[in-house]
Amino acid sequence: MIRIDGVLVSPGEGGVYGERMLGGYRVWDPYRSKLAALYQKSGGPEITPGMTVLYLGAANGTTVSHVADYAGTVYAVEYAPRPMQDLLEVARRRKNVVPILGDATAPAGYAPVVETVDLLYQDVAQPDQAGILLKNAVFLKTGGTAVLMLKTRSVDIRRDPSDIHAETVEMLVAGGFDVIDSCWLEPYHRDHAALVCTRTPPPAP
Amino acid sequence: MQRYWFGDVDDRGQCIPAPADTASLASRIASLATDMHTFVPLSVDTAIACGIANDREEYLRRLRNVCIARAEAEIALYYSQSDMELLQMVRMLDEMDTVVNLLTERATEWYIVRNPGFSRKYRAISAKKMVGIIKRDRSVSLSRIAQEIDRVSAARTALMRDVSARAEQIAPNSSALVGGLVAARLIAKAGGLGALARLPASTVQVIGAQNALFSHLRTRSPPPKHGIIFQHRRVHNAPKQRRGRVARVLAGKLVIAARLDYFRKEAVPAFIASAQERIDRAGEEP
Repeated sequence: MIRIDGVLVSPGEGGVYGERMLGGYRVWDPYRSKLAALYQKSGGPEITPGMTVLYLGAANGTTVSHVADYAGTVYAVEYAPRPMQDLLEVARRRKNVVPILGDATAPAGYAPVVETVDLLYQDVAQPDQAGILLKNAVFLKTGGTAVLMLKTRSVDIRRDPSDIHAETVEMLVAGGFDVIDSCWLEPYHRDHAALVCTRTPPPAP
Repeated sequence: MQRYWFGDVDDRGQCIPAPADTASLASRIASLATDMHTFVPLSVDTAIACGIANDREEYLRRLRNVCIARAEAEIALYYSQSDMELLQMVRMLDEMDTVVNLLTERATEWYIVRNPGFSRKYRAISAKKMVGIIKRDRSVSLSRIAQEIDRVSAARTALMRDVSARAEQIAPNSSALVGGLVAARLIAKAGGLGALARLPASTVQVIGAQNALFSHLRTRSPPPKHGIIFQHRRVHNAPKQRRGRVARVLAGKLVIAARLDYFRKEAVPAFIASAQERIDRAGEEP
């Protein structure tokens, strides 16, 4: 990840959403993007040009555009037609983004177009976020990394975020993931946690 | 056999390519019913061996074109639903109401400062009349603002007629029961005619009274009798102790009407007549 004087940036064509430029690089604002907040807080996985990424919950393509600056190929899945219009505009200008109008809770809808990926990134406002990650784990290469941006308020508004966090970690571990890093995204995003996971290789037969 | 966007690959790795033009590939993706239990993710090498592209770069270019074409088609289809524009029209109408009221209030306050002897008391000055008075003020900016308010009000009235007419067109049964405007508001609040048609009558009865409903659920304050449908004359003209019953019967008939509108897509005069009669009776029974 490239930093200029401690400011996270990404290389690529600017002007996507009015982001600031710094020495020819696009400033990646942790207050706008949860992934940038993760990099600011605790590092997060490096994204390299050789990597393919499956991005669930692409929304308007703000974070997607930064990920695409670093990654080789980004498969960006979004469910709602309105933000998809913006995402399509991003995909028209960035040749390594494959926009998919699909439902992350039903991967069968986009399974025929997505290859296996090195990084599975999920940022969806749904109750069953761990379940969605597990359903999509089929696309993750062995040794790949999954990043879950846990929106605890979408899981249950009435429960304590840290309980939801613990429960989610438990579900991921039961589903065969190792949670190698987890951090809250305060002060950039409230009640959001980032869970960085790798998949435990299946036991040798 | 695994079915991918570019073709089918059987168990021995043999590939049967699909017709390779963008449009048919896009519609192919929608037709593939993937079973996730037996699914194996595609590899670009297989796709290249299948002849869809010569290298990874070309593969991605073709896939991108297909995916963009498919997304564009689905977005167009989504927006072409008959009620999508109505939704925006109703929201715009409500927004304009708010804006006109705010501007009128502020302009009135300003006018009172410029004319200290002025009072609205005992003169029955409606908001519209008030704007007329402000228009004649000697301050050029203030009178121009009043003219602007007038113009926005006129646009609002025109939009209201449009909304009514559009609702009568796409929801003839519901509009016959409560009028185009109330029908349109209900559709907008539900999030579309399809969504309204799937709601239970008890929900339709209190749509638009969310605050009262949740305060009732939280604190056991009395439940709301009506939401948006209060705007219909048969509910607000009914005597107070009978309003709840009228609202309940009306909501019951309304969901039937919405289902007719959504699934049959035409006016059903026999239903409308019997429903009108039933709702009228609810307002008259002792």
